[in-house]
Amino acid sequence: MTSGVLIFAFNNEHIDYLAMANWSAKNIRRHLQLPVAVVTDQIVPTDYYFEQVIPAKPYNGDIRKFADQENNVTWYNGNRIDAYKLSPWAQTLVLDADYVVASNELKKVIVMKENFVAHKTAYDVVNQDNFDELNNFGHYNMPMWWATVMMFRRSSEAKLIFDSMSMIKNNWQHYKDLYNAIHPTYRNDFALSIALNTVNGHTLNHTSIPWGLASLTPAHKLSQISEDNYRIDFLTPDRKPRYITLSQDFHAMGKKHLGDLIAN
Amino acid sequence: MPTNQGYLIPAIGDIYVKCANKLADSIRQWHPEVNITILTEDMLPYGKFSGFANDWQCYDASPYEQTIKLEADMLCASPIDHYWNLFANREVVISKGCRDFYDKPGKSRYYRKIFDNNNLPDMYNAITYWQKGDTAKEFFQLVKNIFEKWEDYKSILKFPDPIPTTDVVYGIAAVILGEENVTLPDNLAPTIVHMKKHIIGTIDEDWTKELILEYTDPGIRINTVAQWGLVHYHIKELANE
Repeated sequence: MTSGVLIFAFNNEHIDYLAMANWSAKNIRRHLQLPVAVVTDQIVPTDYYFEQVIPAKPYNGDIRKFADQENNVTWYNGNRIDAYKLSPWAQTLVLDADYVVASNELKKVIVMKENFVAHKTAYDVVNQDNFDELNNFGHYNMPMWWATVMMFRRSSEAKLIFDSMSMIKNNWQHYKDLYNAIHPTYRNDFALSIALNTVNGHTLNHTSIPWGLASLTPAHKLSQISEDNYRIDFLTPDRKPRYITLSQDFHAMGKKHLGDLIAN
Repeated sequence: MPTNQGYLIPAIGDIYVKCANKLADSIRQWHPEVNITILTEDMLPYGKFSGFANDWQCYDASPYEQTIKLEADMLCASPIDHYWNLFANREVVISKGCRDFYDKPGKSRYYRKIFDNNNLPDMYNAITYWQKGDTAKEFFQLVKNIFEKWEDYKSILKFPDPIPTTDVVYGIAAVILGEENVTLPDNLAPTIVHMKKHIIGTIDEDWTKELILEYTDPGIRINTVAQWGLVHYHIKELANE
C-alpha cells in the first residue's frame, strides 16, 4: 500500500504557502519517511522538491483577517474537499502547510486502523487562550473536528466523508444558517465536523486522533532555536513577557511568523 | 418486562396529560411491552395539593414494586431498559446533573443558584427510581414534610424560592437521608438532556424557534444530532403536535 502526505498550497498576496509546503516536506521526509505531494496553482521553483506536484486551480477565495497580518488576505481553503480525488496515495496524510512537523508523532496516526481520523480538540501551547470557542463552532457550539491533520485510507467511508464535505461546501448558506455559524466564511473544519456527524449517523461519535492539536495563536511570536526546536514568546495576562521552547509538532496559526522563519 | 416494574408519569393538568401521552408513545416505540401509568389528578390518593406539592403521593400511587418516575415533558430518544439494571440494587435513585443536546454535561448554573448557594446536590427529579420499602417510604415522607413545612425549611436556606420546586425539595431530602443513599456515583446514573436556554445557548427560551427538531421514528434529532436517553424539552406546546 502506498502512503504519503498531501499539502495544499495556494499563495495569496502576503503568504507563500508553497514555500511553507516545501519547508514542511523536508521535515516530513526526515521524521516520517513519507513522500509529499503538493496541490498548487504555482510553478514550482527548481530548488523546491516534492515527490509529486498536482496542478489545480483554487476555488474562489474568502477574505480573512489573521491577527499577525496587517491587511486582510485572500484565503484559498476550498480545495481540501478534493483531497480524496487528488491524492495519489492509498493512505494519505493531509497536512496544512502551516503544520510544523518537528517529531515522528504522526507515525502513530499512520498506523491507526481507521479509515479516517482528524483532531477533535486543539489547545494553546502556551496555555494563555481558552480554546473552547475554537473547538466548537456556531452560536450553539457544535463540537468541531480540525481539518489541519487528516489521515484517510481509500475506502467508501473516507469517500463518503469527502463527498459530504463537498455537499456542505456547495450548500454552505444552508449549513451556515442551520448551525448559526457566527463567521460567514466557509471553513474546512466546519464542513468536516458536519460531515463526520452526518456520516456517523448524526451521533458525533467518530474515532479521533487520540491527542490534542498543539496550536500557536498568531498573537505569539515564533522563532527557531535549532532544527526541531522552537521558541514561543508571549505575554501573560498581566503583560509579563515569557517564553517556552517546543520540540513537538504544532499548528502555527500565525502564518507571518512561520513565513518569516522559513524565508530566513 | 416484569409486571412489578413500570414507569410512572405524573400529569396534573391537561397539557401535562398530553405531554405524558407523548412521552409514553416515545417509550413504547423502543419498548412496546413496558408498563406505563400516567398519574392524573383524579388518581392522586390524597387529592390535589397546590403547586408541585403532589409529588410525595407518587409513592402510594404507583402500582409497581419498582417504579421509574419520569417528568411528563420529556421524550424518550433511545432505549432506556438498561436503567432497570442500573437501579436494581438501590432503593432510591434520583438523577443528578444534566446534559446539553450534544451529550455534554450542562455547565451553566443559571437555574441552579439555590442549589449552589445552599450546597444542595444537583438533583433532577425528572428521572427518579424507587422500590417499595422503608428507604423509599422515608424519602417520600420527607418530601411531603418539606413541601408542607416549606416556611420552616425556607428559614434555613439562603435565597429560597417562595414556592418550593420538586428538585429543591429532593435536594434537601437527599441531604437529610444522605446523598449516597439516593444517588448513583457520577457518570453512572442517567441524566436528562435539558433544553433550557442557558444550558444549550439558544437566544430564545423557546428553542423550537431556533433549532431543528426531527422525529426519526423511533428517536429524535436536534439540529441534526441524534439524541440519547430522555430529552426534557420543556416547551409544552410540542405535546400538541
